[in-house]
Amino acid sequence: MKLATPALAAAAALLLIGCANPERSRDLANPTVLATTMAQQVCSNCHGMTGSSVSPNFPNLAGQTAAYMVAQLKGFRSHGRSDPAGFEYMWGLSRSLTDAQIQGLADYYAGQSPTVQPIGGDPGRFESGKAIFANGVADKGVLACATCHGPDGKGNTNFPRLAGQHADYLVKQLLVFQRTEERPEGSIMKTVAHDLTVQNIQDVAVYLQALPGVLERPGLQLTR
Amino acid sequence: MHTSIVQGHPVTARQPLAFIVVLTMVLLLLSSHADAIPAFNRQTGQNCMACHAGGNFPELTPYGRLFKLTGYTLGERALPISAMAVASVSKVSNTTKSDAPADDFQKNNRAILATASLLLGGKVTDNIGAFAQVTYDPYATQDANGRFHGHSNADNIDIRYADRFIGGQRDLIFGLSANNNPSVSDPWNTAAAWMQYVPVPSPTSSRFIDGNAPYPGFGAGGNIAGLNAYAYWNQTIYVELGGYGSSRGLTRFMSAGINQADNTRLRGINPYWRLAYNHEWGPHSLMVGTSGMVARVYDDPLDTSDPATLHKFTDLGVDAQYQYLLDPHAVTMQFAFTRNHVRYSAASLANPAAPFFDASGAATLADINAADTNHVLRAKVSYVYQAKYGGSMGFFNLSGTTNTANQTAGYDATGTLIKTDGAASNLSGNPGTRGITLEAFWMPIQYLRVGLQYTAYNRFNGASTNYDGFGRNARDNNTAFLYTWLAY
Repeated sequence: MKLATPALAAAAALLLIGCANPERSRDLANPTVLATTMAQQVCSNCHGMTGSSVSPNFPNLAGQTAAYMVAQLKGFRSHGRSDPAGFEYMWGLSRSLTDAQIQGLADYYAGQSPTVQPIGGDPGRFESGKAIFANGVADKGVLACATCHGPDGKGNTNFPRLAGQHADYLVKQLLVFQRTEERPEGSIMKTVAHDLTVQNIQDVAVYLQALPGVLERPGLQLTR
Repeated sequence: MHTSIVQGHPVTARQPLAFIVVLTMVLLLLSSHADAIPAFNRQTGQNCMACHAGGNFPELTPYGRLFKLTGYTLGERALPISAMAVASVSKVSNTTKSDAPADDFQKNNRAILATASLLLGGKVTDNIGAFAQVTYDPYATQDANGRFHGHSNADNIDIRYADRFIGGQRDLIFGLSANNNPSVSDPWNTAAAWMQYVPVPSPTSSRFIDGNAPYPGFGAGGNIAGLNAYAYWNQTIYVELGGYGSSRGLTRFMSAGINQADNTRLRGINPYWRLAYNHEWGPHSLMVGTSGMVARVYDDPLDTSDPATLHKFTDLGVDAQYQYLLDPHAVTMQFAFTRNHVRYSAASLANPAAPFFDASGAATLADINAADTNHVLRAKVSYVYQAKYGGSMGFFNLSGTTNTANQTAGYDATGTLIKTDGAASNLSGNPGTRGITLEAFWMPIQYLRVGLQYTAYNRFNGASTNYDGFGRNARDNNTAFLYTWLAY
């Protein structure tokens, strides 16, 4: 083991060089690391530098309501939210966050400019999605999404912002609400989404993803 | 330091498939009652699929690449120890065209414990993290009585210092990697160190499995000591520059367990470089890159006194990787092409006579080459569903210069046909080898993969038929390889 000594000495020297660097830390169990640092060093890996994610696998957080963000992060931390997106990616990351860090992260993302997605897809779906969002599905007793999420889908306290969210994420979450008990905090959505068809869900999701840009499209103005 | 030469205890069974099935079920049962999890998983608390595409280790997702490039420092300190083990069965298509099937196809169609590794990995400080692997090979050596003996040695080692300057629209990751294998520091799976990912068993029945078929590589090989500096700018441009030298003295741990006689000895500092362009849009990510290395390697690791015994390897590669990752789907396409040039040492060329003769035994063949150039192409497409069920198709082609020094079969001075490398003997002197590999795998839990590979050759050692001079054809080497891989 004659080589162990210099190897250990080198390791110790390296340790001293990089012992603590809270301004640019990726430590998720250090309560002194600021939420902004965490958002940039860690969360940005999936959710983008300002909360607009590149991959639809991960929701946009920019402009999300702070109250909803706090509830979700606490739900991940307590394992109260157990959908795949939650337990696969978020349980571990949130397990040691302090309440103050959670509030800081929520404020950070609430303060970012909301994501504006490029408009794509079939305008026929926008019309159908807009109808569900603004008016619900009367013959199935489905409430209008706008009732709680606001006429522009910008959200309101515990009701999350939906405008500009990835359609893929919205579809997956609506199916989670409709078909599972994995998001008990959103149990109201189980009732709301109960009678939506998969087609309904896809239509409303592509419409919401295109908000707010879709407002500027002729003939697709929201019913106010 | 890890030279624990112990008696190998090969696991064998008469019914290999049944053995693998039973082993898988036992592991499944154990896993449902165990809390032990791999080290990085403990550190981030995330599922394997967060960092590994479709949960298919070791291929990294965009997030996994950032985890690696930020020095394995994301998360919280946790028990930094993991272990993995691979049990496998190899079955070569034709074992009859062989003078000595027992030697040419050791453990053919028998279930064995192929390899086992201990991994140390994780966050040390805010800027320092490490990944280090020690691997045990139960079949490392064979004694005169035919008994196998196991051996452990240092495998991949990557110790990092990293910092990240991020804010606004700027993101710069900068780091240093002390590692022992060129490209082990790379975050893409088309890197030579990572593209072939299933551990390869040593017994000769596995000599034709996909892991032993041509893959891009660097002439310097592994278990050397390097220090690389890298930068990743806005997740778009990746640059890495490094220098490698022999693993000795302070860096001897990088080749721990490797005999001095087998330890690559390099002259001076040998440069390695890597440049890659990365682009991510929606669920897609694309990388196009290039890498290279120039290495001067001593012919005899035990004698580094004479510069005339230096071989010079010049390796150049281009590679590309495309990923589509949107749960529950993971699609990956990989492409890698390398040009490997070697200029042989003056000492090895002092006697350039070919080792074999023409059919009459009267005249020697052309002199051995002063230099050789090989080209290796690998392409693969894979798909994983729900991080559980997957499959892949791969193509490989090695082409290169013909060199009488490559021959391990030919005519001796009496005009008699002989061979010196058993079923892998080479009559043509050309390395040309081409084929495809199909794989299906299943990951019942995220720590366990059961895979079946079938590798089919239509060219081997420069010929499709009679490549060894004794009637063995390329397709005779087609091999089925069943493995179960547990990482804990």
